[in-house]
Amino acid sequence: MGTNSLIVDFDKAGLAYGGEPETLSDISMQLGEGEFRFLTGPSGAGKTSLLKMIYLAHRPTRGSFSLFGEDAMNAKRAELPALRRRIGVVFQEFRLLDHLSAFDNVALPMKVAGINQNQYREDVSELLNWVGLGHRMTAKPPTLSGGEKQRVALARALVSKPDLILADEPTGNVDPAMSERIMKLFVELNKLGAAVIVATHDLHLVQSLGKPVLRISDGQLSRSPSLGGNL
Amino acid sequence: MTSADETETSAVEESVHDGTAPKRTLLTRMRAEPLLPEAGAGGAPLTAVIAVISFLAVLAMAAVLIINTAASEWTSSLRSEVTVQIKGTDAVQIESRMAAAIRVLETTDGVLEVSSIDQEEAAELLEPWLGDGNAAAFLNVPAIIEVKIAPALRSDLDLLRNRLEAAAPSAVLDDHASWHDRLATAARSGQALAFAVFLIVLGAACAISIFAARAGLAANHEIVSVLHLVGATDEFIAAEVQRRFFVLGLRGSIVGLMAALLALGLAALALRSGIGTDSFLPSFTLGGWLVLWLLSVPVVTCFVTALTARLTVLRTLQDQY
Repeated sequence: MGTNSLIVDFDKAGLAYGGEPETLSDISMQLGEGEFRFLTGPSGAGKTSLLKMIYLAHRPTRGSFSLFGEDAMNAKRAELPALRRRIGVVFQEFRLLDHLSAFDNVALPMKVAGINQNQYREDVSELLNWVGLGHRMTAKPPTLSGGEKQRVALARALVSKPDLILADEPTGNVDPAMSERIMKLFVELNKLGAAVIVATHDLHLVQSLGKPVLRISDGQLSRSPSLGGNL
Repeated sequence: MTSADETETSAVEESVHDGTAPKRTLLTRMRAEPLLPEAGAGGAPLTAVIAVISFLAVLAMAAVLIINTAASEWTSSLRSEVTVQIKGTDAVQIESRMAAAIRVLETTDGVLEVSSIDQEEAAELLEPWLGDGNAAAFLNVPAIIEVKIAPALRSDLDLLRNRLEAAAPSAVLDDHASWHDRLATAARSGQALAFAVFLIVLGAACAISIFAARAGLAANHEIVSVLHLVGATDEFIAAEVQRRFFVLGLRGSIVGLMAALLALGLAALALRSGIGTDSFLPSFTLGGWLVLWLLSVPVVTCFVTALTARLTVLRTLQDQY
Protein backbone atom coordinates (compact mmCIF):
# COMPACT_ATOMS: atom_id res chain seq x y z
CA MET A 1 0.00 0.00 0.00
CA GLY A 2 1.51 3.33 -1.01
CA THR A 3 1.90 6.21 1.41
CA ASN A 4 -0.75 8.24 -0.39
CA SER A 5 -3.47 5.68 0.31
CA LEU A 6 -2.75 5.54 4.02
CA ILE A 7 -5.28 7.36 6.13
CA VAL A 8 -3.50 6.87 9.46
CA ASP A 9 0.16 6.05 9.82
CA PHE A 10 1.85 5.87 13.24
CA ASP A 11 5.45 4.88 13.65
CA LYS A 12 6.74 4.33 17.18
CA ALA A 13 4.55 7.12 18.44
CA GLY A 14 4.26 7.88 22.13
CA LEU A 15 1.92 10.11 24.09
CA ALA A 16 2.61 11.58 27.51
CA TYR A 17 0.48 14.13 29.32
CA GLY A 18 2.48 16.97 30.88
CA GLY A 19 5.66 15.22 31.89
CA GLU A 20 3.87 12.13 33.21
CA PRO A 21 4.93 8.61 32.12
CA GLU A 22 3.74 7.73 28.64
CA THR A 23 0.10 6.78 28.31
CA LEU A 24 0.78 5.27 24.91
CA SER A 25 4.12 3.84 23.91
CA ASP A 26 5.62 2.74 20.63
CA ILE A 27 2.37 2.88 18.71
CA SER A 28 2.93 1.68 15.17
CA MET A 29 -0.07 1.10 12.98
CA GLN A 30 -1.40 1.86 9.55
CA LEU A 31 -4.95 2.28 8.39
CA GLY A 32 -5.54 2.46 4.66
CA GLU A 33 -8.42 3.83 2.66
CA GLY A 34 -11.58 1.77 3.11
CA GLU A 35 -10.19 -0.28 5.99
CA PHE A 36 -12.11 -1.19 9.12
CA ARG A 37 -10.61 -1.84 12.56
CA PHE A 38 -12.05 -2.61 15.92
CA LEU A 39 -10.06 -1.27 18.85
CA THR A 40 -10.47 -3.26 22.02
CA GLY A 41 -8.85 -3.38 25.39
CA PRO A 42 -9.62 -2.95 29.06
CA SER A 43 -10.74 0.35 30.53
CA GLY A 44 -7.87 2.77 30.93
CA ALA A 45 -5.68 0.88 28.47
CA GLY A 46 -5.44 3.88 26.15
CA LYS A 47 -8.18 3.39 23.55
CA THR A 48 -9.54 6.90 23.94
CA SER A 49 -6.04 8.38 24.03
CA LEU A 50 -5.20 6.67 20.76
CA LEU A 51 -8.39 7.99 19.18
CA LYS A 52 -7.58 11.48 20.54
CA MET A 53 -4.26 11.38 18.78
CA ILE A 54 -5.95 10.36 15.54
CA TYR A 55 -8.59 13.11 15.70
CA LEU A 56 -5.87 15.61 16.58
CA ALA A 57 -7.00 16.51 20.07
CA HIS A 58 -3.45 15.64 21.13
CA ARG A 59 -0.33 15.19 19.10
CA PRO A 60 2.11 12.38 19.85
CA THR A 61 5.01 13.47 22.00
CA ARG A 62 7.40 11.29 20.04
CA GLY A 63 7.58 9.14 16.96
CA SER A 64 5.88 10.04 13.71
CA PHE A 65 2.28 10.39 12.72
CA SER A 66 0.74 11.15 9.37
CA LEU A 67 -2.93 11.63 8.60
CA PHE A 68 -4.32 11.54 5.06
CA GLY A 69 -0.73 11.56 3.88
CA GLU A 70 0.04 14.82 5.73
CA ASP A 71 2.68 15.07 8.43
CA ALA A 72 0.33 15.61 11.36
CA MET A 73 3.18 15.77 13.87
CA ASN A 74 4.47 18.98 12.37
CA ALA A 75 1.35 20.40 10.71
CA LYS A 76 0.79 24.08 11.39
CA ARG A 77 -2.10 25.06 13.58
CA ALA A 78 -3.91 26.60 10.61
CA GLU A 79 -3.71 23.29 8.74
CA LEU A 80 -5.45 21.24 11.43
CA PRO A 81 -9.10 22.27 10.77
CA ALA A 82 -8.97 20.96 7.20
CA LEU A 83 -7.69 17.60 8.47
CA ARG A 84 -10.28 17.46 11.26
CA ARG A 85 -13.11 18.10 8.79
CA ARG A 86 -12.25 14.81 7.10
CA ILE A 87 -12.80 12.92 10.36
CA GLY A 88 -16.12 12.10 11.96
CA VAL A 89 -15.89 11.36 15.66
CA VAL A 90 -18.46 9.74 17.92
CA PHE A 91 -17.18 10.71 21.35
CA GLN A 92 -17.73 8.35 24.24
CA GLU A 93 -19.14 11.20 26.33
CA PHE A 94 -21.05 12.53 23.28
CA ARG A 95 -19.80 16.14 23.71
CA LEU A 96 -22.99 17.71 22.41
CA LEU A 97 -23.54 21.45 22.84
CA ASP A 98 -26.35 21.78 25.38
CA HIS A 99 -27.58 25.16 24.16
CA LEU A 100 -28.14 23.93 20.61
CA SER A 101 -30.97 21.78 19.32
CA ALA A 102 -30.37 18.24 18.10
CA PHE A 103 -30.60 19.58 14.54
CA ASP A 104 -28.00 22.29 15.16
CA ASN A 105 -25.70 19.85 16.92
CA VAL A 106 -25.78 17.53 13.95
CA ALA A 107 -25.33 20.45 11.57
CA LEU A 108 -22.29 21.76 13.48
CA PRO A 109 -19.59 20.31 11.16
CA MET A 110 -21.39 21.84 8.18
CA LYS A 111 -21.75 25.22 9.85
CA VAL A 112 -18.10 25.46 10.79
CA ALA A 113 -17.19 24.49 7.24
CA GLY A 114 -19.17 27.50 6.06
CA ILE A 115 -21.78 25.48 4.17
CA ASN A 116 -25.14 27.14 3.61
CA GLN A 117 -28.01 25.72 5.62
CA ASN A 118 -30.06 25.10 2.48
CA GLN A 119 -27.38 22.67 1.33
CA TYR A 120 -27.33 20.51 4.46
CA ARG A 121 -30.85 20.78 5.86
CA GLU A 122 -32.05 17.70 4.01
CA ASP A 123 -29.00 15.64 4.98
CA VAL A 124 -29.29 16.56 8.64
CA SER A 125 -33.01 15.82 8.71
CA GLU A 126 -32.48 12.52 6.93
CA LEU A 127 -29.77 11.44 9.35
CA LEU A 128 -31.81 12.39 12.40
CA ASN A 129 -34.74 10.50 10.96
CA TRP A 130 -32.52 7.50 10.34
CA VAL A 131 -31.34 7.40 13.95
CA GLY A 132 -34.93 7.71 15.11
CA LEU A 133 -34.85 11.30 16.26
CA GLY A 134 -36.89 12.92 13.52
CA HIS A 135 -39.45 13.91 16.11
CA ARG A 136 -36.84 15.45 18.41
CA MET A 137 -34.93 17.70 16.06
CA THR A 138 -35.61 20.84 18.08
CA ALA A 139 -34.96 19.18 21.43
CA LYS A 140 -31.85 20.22 23.31
CA PRO A 141 -29.43 17.63 24.73
CA PRO A 142 -30.38 18.11 28.41
CA THR A 143 -33.86 16.88 27.52
CA LEU A 144 -32.58 13.81 25.63
CA SER A 145 -31.92 10.37 27.11
CA GLY A 146 -28.45 8.84 27.00
CA GLY A 147 -29.37 6.75 23.98
CA GLU A 148 -30.80 9.74 22.14
CA LYS A 149 -27.68 11.78 22.84
CA GLN A 150 -25.54 8.99 21.49
CA ARG A 151 -27.57 8.89 18.30
CA VAL A 152 -27.29 12.66 17.88
CA ALA A 153 -23.53 12.33 18.35
CA LEU A 154 -23.48 9.58 15.74
CA ALA A 155 -25.42 11.72 13.27
CA ARG A 156 -23.05 14.63 13.86
CA ALA A 157 -20.06 12.42 13.14
CA LEU A 158 -21.50 11.19 9.86
CA VAL A 159 -23.20 14.27 8.44
CA SER A 160 -20.18 15.57 6.57
CA LYS A 161 -19.50 12.18 4.95
CA PRO A 162 -16.03 11.92 6.48
CA ASP A 163 -13.16 9.92 5.03
CA LEU A 164 -12.33 8.56 8.47
CA ILE A 165 -14.88 7.60 11.12
CA LEU A 166 -13.75 7.19 14.72
CA ALA A 167 -16.26 5.85 17.19
CA ASP A 168 -15.56 5.51 20.90
CA GLU A 169 -18.03 3.02 22.37
CA PRO A 170 -20.73 4.09 19.89
CA THR A 171 -23.24 1.49 21.05
CA GLY A 172 -22.74 1.86 24.78
CA ASN A 173 -26.08 3.54 25.44
CA VAL A 174 -28.42 2.16 22.81
CA ASP A 175 -30.55 -0.93 22.66
CA PRO A 176 -29.34 -4.07 20.80
CA ALA A 177 -31.45 -3.33 17.75
CA MET A 178 -30.04 0.18 17.41
CA SER A 179 -26.53 -1.19 18.07
CA GLU A 180 -26.92 -3.53 15.17
CA ARG A 181 -28.22 -0.76 12.92
CA ILE A 182 -25.35 1.52 13.85
CA MET A 183 -22.74 -1.15 13.21
CA LYS A 184 -24.34 -2.02 9.89
CA LEU A 185 -24.21 1.68 9.01
CA PHE A 186 -20.48 1.75 9.78
CA VAL A 187 -19.97 -1.29 7.60
CA GLU A 188 -21.96 0.28 4.76
CA LEU A 189 -20.01 3.54 5.04
CA ASN A 190 -16.83 1.50 5.07
CA LYS A 191 -17.90 -0.21 1.86
CA LEU A 192 -18.46 3.23 0.35
CA GLY A 193 -14.82 4.06 1.06
CA ALA A 194 -14.64 5.51 4.55
CA ALA A 195 -12.00 4.13 6.88
CA VAL A 196 -13.46 3.18 10.25
CA ILE A 197 -12.07 2.57 13.72
CA VAL A 198 -14.54 1.51 16.40
CA ALA A 199 -13.37 1.30 19.99
CA THR A 200 -15.56 -1.03 21.97
CA HIS A 201 -15.77 -3.46 24.86
CA ASP A 202 -18.46 -5.45 23.14
CA LEU A 203 -16.64 -8.59 22.02
CA HIS A 204 -19.88 -10.11 20.77
CA LEU A 205 -20.22 -7.19 18.40
CA VAL A 206 -16.59 -7.55 17.32
CA GLN A 207 -16.94 -11.25 16.64
CA SER A 208 -20.23 -10.86 14.78
CA LEU A 209 -18.69 -8.59 12.14
CA GLY A 210 -15.41 -10.46 11.72
CA LYS A 211 -13.36 -7.33 11.12
CA PRO A 212 -9.68 -6.96 12.04
CA VAL A 213 -9.05 -6.07 15.64
CA LEU A 214 -6.42 -3.95 17.32
CA ARG A 215 -5.94 -4.68 20.97
CA ILE A 216 -4.49 -2.12 23.30
CA SER A 217 -3.22 -2.94 26.74
CA ASP A 218 -1.15 -0.80 29.10
CA GLY A 219 -0.60 1.72 26.35
CA GLN A 220 0.80 -0.84 23.92
CA LEU A 221 -0.91 -1.81 20.71
CA SER A 222 -0.97 -5.39 19.54
CA ARG A 223 -2.67 -7.68 17.04
CA SER A 224 -5.51 -9.59 18.62
CA PRO A 225 -4.47 -13.26 18.62
CA SER A 226 -7.98 -14.58 18.90
CA LEU A 227 -9.68 -12.48 16.24
CA GLY A 228 -7.02 -12.32 13.58
CA GLY A 229 -6.64 -8.57 13.31
CA ASN A 230 -3.72 -7.28 11.29
CA LEU A 231 -1.51 -4.31 11.95
CA MET B 1 -36.65 -5.97 24.81
CA THR B 2 -37.96 -3.53 27.38
CA SER B 3 -40.90 -1.25 26.73
CA ALA B 4 -38.48 1.66 26.53
CA ASP B 5 -36.50 -0.15 23.87
CA GLU B 6 -39.66 -0.89 21.94
CA THR B 7 -40.67 2.74 22.10
CA GLU B 8 -37.23 3.82 20.87
CA THR B 9 -37.22 1.30 18.02
CA SER B 10 -40.72 2.18 16.93
CA ALA B 11 -39.78 5.85 16.95
CA VAL B 12 -36.92 5.01 14.59
CA GLU B 13 -39.22 3.22 12.20
CA GLU B 14 -41.85 5.95 12.29
CA SER B 15 -39.43 8.76 11.69
CA VAL B 16 -37.70 6.93 8.85
CA HIS B 17 -41.00 6.69 7.04
CA ASP B 18 -42.26 10.13 7.98
CA GLY B 19 -39.53 12.62 7.20
CA THR B 20 -41.68 15.60 6.36
CA ALA B 21 -43.34 16.43 9.67
CA PRO B 22 -40.14 17.39 11.51
CA LYS B 23 -39.07 19.47 8.53
CA ARG B 24 -42.15 21.67 8.84
CA THR B 25 -41.43 22.13 12.52
CA LEU B 26 -37.87 23.00 11.71
CA LEU B 27 -38.80 25.56 9.08
CA THR B 28 -40.91 27.40 11.61
CA ARG B 29 -38.34 27.19 14.38
CA MET B 30 -35.15 27.32 12.37
CA ARG B 31 -33.11 30.36 13.20
CA ALA B 32 -29.47 31.24 13.43
CA GLU B 33 -28.75 30.11 16.96
CA PRO B 34 -25.44 31.46 18.21
CA LEU B 35 -22.86 28.73 18.57
CA LEU B 36 -21.61 30.36 21.75
CA PRO B 37 -24.30 30.81 24.40
CA GLU B 38 -25.22 34.34 25.40
CA ALA B 39 -24.37 33.87 29.06
CA GLY B 40 -20.82 32.98 28.18
CA ALA B 41 -20.11 36.41 26.80
CA GLY B 42 -21.12 38.23 29.96
CA GLY B 43 -24.64 39.00 28.77
CA ALA B 44 -26.45 41.64 30.79
CA PRO B 45 -23.49 42.81 32.94
CA LEU B 46 -21.38 43.45 29.85
CA THR B 47 -24.26 45.32 28.21
CA ALA B 48 -24.60 47.48 31.33
CA VAL B 49 -20.87 48.25 31.44
CA ILE B 50 -20.82 49.16 27.76
CA ALA B 51 -23.86 51.39 28.34
CA VAL B 52 -21.94 53.31 31.02
CA ILE B 53 -18.84 53.50 28.82
CA SER B 54 -20.91 54.70 25.88
CA PHE B 55 -22.61 57.31 28.11
CA LEU B 56 -19.23 58.71 29.17
CA ALA B 57 -17.87 58.56 25.62
CA VAL B 58 -20.84 60.52 24.28
CA LEU B 59 -20.44 63.14 27.01
CA ALA B 60 -16.72 63.44 26.28
CA MET B 61 -17.39 63.79 22.55
CA ALA B 62 -20.13 66.34 23.29
CA ALA B 63 -17.60 68.34 25.30
CA VAL B 64 -15.18 68.28 22.35
CA LEU B 65 -17.89 69.51 20.00
CA ILE B 66 -19.35 72.13 22.34
CA ILE B 67 -15.93 73.61 23.11
CA ASN B 68 -15.24 73.68 19.39
CA THR B 69 -18.52 75.47 18.71
CA ALA B 70 -17.92 77.93 21.54
CA ALA B 71 -14.39 78.69 20.41
CA SER B 72 -15.62 79.26 16.86
CA GLU B 73 -18.36 81.59 18.04
CA TRP B 74 -16.05 83.54 20.31
CA THR B 75 -13.18 83.84 17.90
CA SER B 76 -15.30 84.64 14.86
CA SER B 77 -16.99 87.37 16.85
CA LEU B 78 -13.60 88.74 17.84
CA ARG B 79 -12.24 88.48 14.32
CA SER B 80 -15.17 90.30 12.75
CA GLU B 81 -14.84 93.30 15.04
CA VAL B 82 -12.20 95.85 15.92
CA THR B 83 -12.33 98.60 18.50
CA VAL B 84 -11.01 102.12 18.12
CA GLN B 85 -10.18 103.92 21.32
CA ILE B 86 -10.07 107.75 21.18
CA LYS B 87 -8.16 109.57 23.89
CA GLY B 88 -7.80 113.27 24.37
CA THR B 89 -7.10 115.99 26.93
CA ASP B 90 -10.75 116.98 27.25
CA ALA B 91 -14.21 116.09 26.07
CA VAL B 92 -14.17 118.54 23.19
CA GLN B 93 -10.95 117.14 21.78
CA ILE B 94 -12.16 113.57 22.17
CA GLU B 95 -15.42 114.48 20.45
CA SER B 96 -13.67 116.05 17.45
CA ARG B 97 -11.18 113.22 17.13
CA MET B 98 -14.00 110.68 17.28
CA ALA B 99 -15.85 112.46 14.48
CA ALA B 100 -12.68 112.44 12.36
CA ALA B 101 -12.13 108.76 13.06
CA ILE B 102 -15.71 107.92 12.14
CA ARG B 103 -15.29 109.76 8.84
CA VAL B 104 -12.19 107.67 8.06
CA LEU B 105 -13.95 104.47 8.98
CA GLU B 106 -17.03 105.26 6.93
CA THR B 107 -14.92 105.85 3.84
CA THR B 108 -12.91 102.66 4.24
CA ASP B 109 -13.72 99.63 2.09
CA GLY B 110 -14.56 96.61 4.20
CA VAL B 111 -16.04 98.52 7.10
CA LEU B 112 -19.54 97.13 7.55
CA GLU B 113 -20.88 98.94 10.56
CA VAL B 114 -19.66 101.71 12.86
CA SER B 115 -21.18 102.34 16.27
CA SER B 116 -19.71 104.79 18.72
CA ILE B 117 -19.77 104.92 22.46
CA ASP B 118 -19.06 108.52 23.40
CA GLN B 119 -17.33 109.64 26.55
CA GLU B 120 -20.61 110.05 28.43
CA GLU B 121 -21.84 106.54 27.55
CA ALA B 122 -18.43 105.06 28.41
CA ALA B 123 -18.56 106.75 31.80
CA GLU B 124 -22.02 105.29 32.40
CA LEU B 125 -20.62 101.83 31.76
CA LEU B 126 -18.16 102.39 34.61
CA GLU B 127 -20.74 103.64 37.09
CA PRO B 128 -21.49 100.20 38.59
CA TRP B 129 -17.88 100.12 39.85
CA LEU B 130 -17.10 103.80 40.44
CA GLY B 131 -20.48 105.17 41.55
CA ASP B 132 -22.83 107.66 39.95
CA GLY B 133 -21.06 110.55 38.24
CA ASN B 134 -17.63 109.64 39.61
CA ALA B 135 -16.21 108.33 36.35
CA ALA B 136 -17.09 111.48 34.44
CA ALA B 137 -15.88 113.68 37.27
CA PHE B 138 -12.54 112.08 38.05
CA LEU B 139 -11.51 110.18 34.94
CA ASN B 140 -10.82 111.31 31.44
CA VAL B 141 -12.71 108.34 29.99
CA PRO B 142 -11.84 107.64 26.34
CA ALA B 143 -14.49 107.26 23.67
CA ILE B 144 -14.83 103.93 21.97
CA ILE B 145 -15.87 103.06 18.43
CA GLU B 146 -16.96 99.48 17.66
CA VAL B 147 -16.38 98.58 14.04
CA LYS B 148 -17.65 95.51 12.22
CA ILE B 149 -15.37 94.62 9.36
CA ALA B 150 -15.30 92.28 6.38
CA PRO B 151 -12.80 89.38 6.55
CA ALA B 152 -10.74 90.91 3.72
CA LEU B 153 -10.04 94.05 5.74
CA ARG B 154 -8.75 92.00 8.68
CA SER B 155 -5.55 91.22 6.82
CA ASP B 156 -4.92 94.87 5.99
CA LEU B 157 -5.51 96.67 9.26
CA ASP B 158 -2.15 98.47 9.25
CA LEU B 159 -3.30 100.85 6.53
CA LEU B 160 -6.49 101.65 8.45
CA ARG B 161 -4.48 102.06 11.63
CA ASN B 162 -2.20 104.61 9.92
CA ARG B 163 -5.12 106.54 8.44
CA LEU B 164 -6.85 106.68 11.83
CA GLU B 165 -3.71 107.96 13.56
CA ALA B 166 -3.33 110.60 10.89
CA ALA B 167 -6.94 111.78 11.23
CA ALA B 168 -7.27 111.39 14.98
CA PRO B 169 -3.92 111.40 16.84
CA SER B 170 -3.91 109.07 19.86
CA ALA B 171 -6.53 106.82 18.23
CA VAL B 172 -5.69 103.23 19.11
CA LEU B 173 -7.03 100.42 16.94
CA ASP B 174 -7.39 97.17 18.88
CA ASP B 175 -7.80 94.12 16.63
CA HIS B 176 -8.44 91.79 19.66
CA ALA B 177 -5.58 89.58 18.49
CA SER B 178 -4.28 88.85 21.99
CA TRP B 179 -7.78 87.89 23.20
CA HIS B 180 -8.30 85.77 20.14
CA ASP B 181 -5.03 83.91 20.66
CA ARG B 182 -5.72 83.29 24.33
CA LEU B 183 -9.22 82.04 23.62
CA ALA B 184 -8.00 79.79 20.83
CA THR B 185 -5.32 78.33 23.11
CA ALA B 186 -7.82 77.76 25.91
CA ALA B 187 -10.27 76.16 23.48
CA ARG B 188 -7.60 73.88 22.02
CA SER B 189 -6.56 72.80 25.52
CA GLY B 190 -10.15 72.11 26.50
CA GLN B 191 -10.75 70.13 23.34
CA ALA B 192 -7.58 68.13 23.80
CA LEU B 193 -8.56 67.32 27.37
CA ALA B 194 -12.07 66.24 26.36
CA PHE B 195 -10.70 64.15 23.49
CA ALA B 196 -8.22 62.51 25.86
CA VAL B 197 -11.12 61.59 28.13
CA PHE B 198 -12.93 60.15 25.07
CA LEU B 199 -9.88 58.03 24.20
CA ILE B 200 -9.50 56.86 27.80
CA VAL B 201 -13.15 55.81 27.81
CA LEU B 202 -12.62 53.88 24.57
CA GLY B 203 -9.56 52.33 26.19
CA ALA B 204 -11.77 51.22 29.05
CA ALA B 205 -14.12 49.65 26.48
CA CYS B 206 -11.15 47.73 25.07
CA ALA B 207 -10.08 46.56 28.52
CA ILE B 208 -13.60 45.38 29.36
CA SER B 209 -13.84 43.56 26.03
CA ILE B 210 -10.54 41.79 26.60
CA PHE B 211 -11.59 40.71 30.08
CA ALA B 212 -15.06 39.59 28.97
CA ALA B 213 -13.76 37.76 25.89
CA ARG B 214 -11.22 35.83 27.97
CA ALA B 215 -13.83 35.03 30.60
CA GLY B 216 -16.24 33.93 27.88
CA LEU B 217 -13.67 31.61 26.35
CA ALA B 218 -12.85 30.11 29.74
CA ALA B 219 -16.53 29.61 30.52
CA ASN B 220 -17.10 28.03 27.09
CA HIS B 221 -13.94 25.93 27.03
CA GLU B 222 -15.81 22.71 26.26
CA ILE B 223 -17.81 24.32 23.45
CA VAL B 224 -14.69 25.85 21.91
CA SER B 225 -12.96 22.49 22.13
CA VAL B 226 -15.85 20.74 20.33
CA LEU B 227 -15.91 23.44 17.67
CA HIS B 228 -12.21 22.89 17.05
CA LEU B 229 -12.64 19.12 16.88
CA VAL B 230 -15.40 19.35 14.27
CA GLY B 231 -13.13 21.50 12.14
CA ALA B 232 -13.69 25.11 13.19
CA THR B 233 -10.84 27.50 12.55
CA ASP B 234 -9.74 30.07 15.10
CA GLU B 235 -11.11 32.75 12.78
CA PHE B 236 -14.53 31.09 12.77
CA ILE B 237 -14.66 31.04 16.57
CA ALA B 238 -13.35 34.61 16.75
CA ALA B 239 -16.04 35.71 14.29
CA GLU B 240 -18.71 34.11 16.47
CA VAL B 241 -17.41 35.97 19.52
CA GLN B 242 -17.07 39.19 17.52
CA ARG B 243 -20.69 38.95 16.37
CA ARG B 244 -21.80 38.33 19.93
CA PHE B 245 -19.89 41.31 21.28
CA PHE B 246 -21.12 43.54 18.47
CA VAL B 247 -24.72 42.81 19.39
CA LEU B 248 -24.05 43.32 23.11
CA GLY B 249 -22.08 46.47 22.32
CA LEU B 250 -24.85 47.81 20.13
CA ARG B 251 -27.44 47.28 22.84
CA GLY B 252 -25.28 48.89 25.51
CA SER B 253 -24.21 51.75 23.27
CA ILE B 254 -27.75 52.66 22.34
CA VAL B 255 -28.77 52.73 26.00
CA GLY B 256 -25.71 54.86 26.82
CA LEU B 257 -26.41 57.21 23.91
CA MET B 258 -30.01 57.72 24.94
CA ALA B 259 -29.00 58.45 28.54
CA ALA B 260 -26.31 60.88 27.40
CA LEU B 261 -28.64 62.71 25.02
CA LEU B 262 -31.16 63.02 27.81
CA ALA B 263 -28.50 64.42 30.16
CA LEU B 264 -27.27 66.87 27.54
CA GLY B 265 -30.82 67.95 26.71
CA LEU B 266 -31.54 68.63 30.37
CA ALA B 267 -28.25 70.55 30.70
CA ALA B 268 -29.13 72.64 27.63
CA LEU B 269 -32.56 73.44 29.06
CA ALA B 270 -31.09 74.35 32.43
CA LEU B 271 -28.50 76.66 30.87
CA ARG B 272 -31.08 78.36 28.68
CA SER B 273 -33.60 78.91 31.46
CA GLY B 274 -31.08 79.83 34.15
CA ILE B 275 -28.75 82.14 32.24
CA GLY B 276 -30.65 83.28 29.20
CA THR B 277 -29.60 83.49 25.58
CA ASP B 278 -27.49 86.66 25.94
CA SER B 279 -24.95 84.92 28.11
CA PHE B 280 -21.23 84.97 27.46
CA LEU B 281 -21.56 81.15 27.40
CA PRO B 282 -21.81 79.62 23.94
CA SER B 283 -25.08 78.59 22.37
CA PHE B 284 -25.78 74.97 23.37
CA THR B 285 -28.35 73.22 21.23
CA LEU B 286 -28.72 69.50 20.45
CA GLY B 287 -29.18 69.62 16.74
CA GLY B 288 -27.71 68.99 13.33
CA TRP B 289 -24.09 68.02 13.20
CA LEU B 290 -23.73 67.72 16.94
CA VAL B 291 -26.28 64.91 17.11
CA LEU B 292 -24.81 63.23 14.02
CA TRP B 293 -21.36 63.24 15.60
CA LEU B 294 -22.77 61.93 18.86
CA LEU B 295 -24.60 59.15 17.00
CA SER B 296 -21.27 58.02 15.61
CA VAL B 297 -19.89 57.45 19.13
CA PRO B 298 -21.90 54.26 19.90
CA VAL B 299 -21.03 52.95 16.45
CA VAL B 300 -17.34 53.48 17.19
CA THR B 301 -17.78 51.91 20.64
CA CYS B 302 -19.45 48.87 19.05
CA PHE B 303 -16.71 48.37 16.52
CA VAL B 304 -13.97 48.87 19.12
CA THR B 305 -15.66 46.36 21.45
CA ALA B 306 -16.21 43.75 18.75
CA LEU B 307 -12.80 44.12 17.15
CA THR B 308 -11.03 43.94 20.51
CA ALA B 309 -12.96 40.79 21.38
CA ARG B 310 -12.01 39.23 18.05
CA LEU B 311 -8.30 39.98 18.47
CA THR B 312 -8.38 38.78 22.09
CA VAL B 313 -9.97 35.46 21.07
CA LEU B 314 -7.47 34.91 18.27
CA ARG B 315 -4.59 35.62 20.61
CA THR B 316 -6.00 33.51 23.44
CA LEU B 317 -6.74 30.54 21.18
CA GLN B 318 -3.20 30.64 19.84
CA ASP B 319 -1.84 30.64 23.39
CA GLN B 320 -4.14 28.15 25.07
CA TYR B 321 -5.48 25.54 22.68
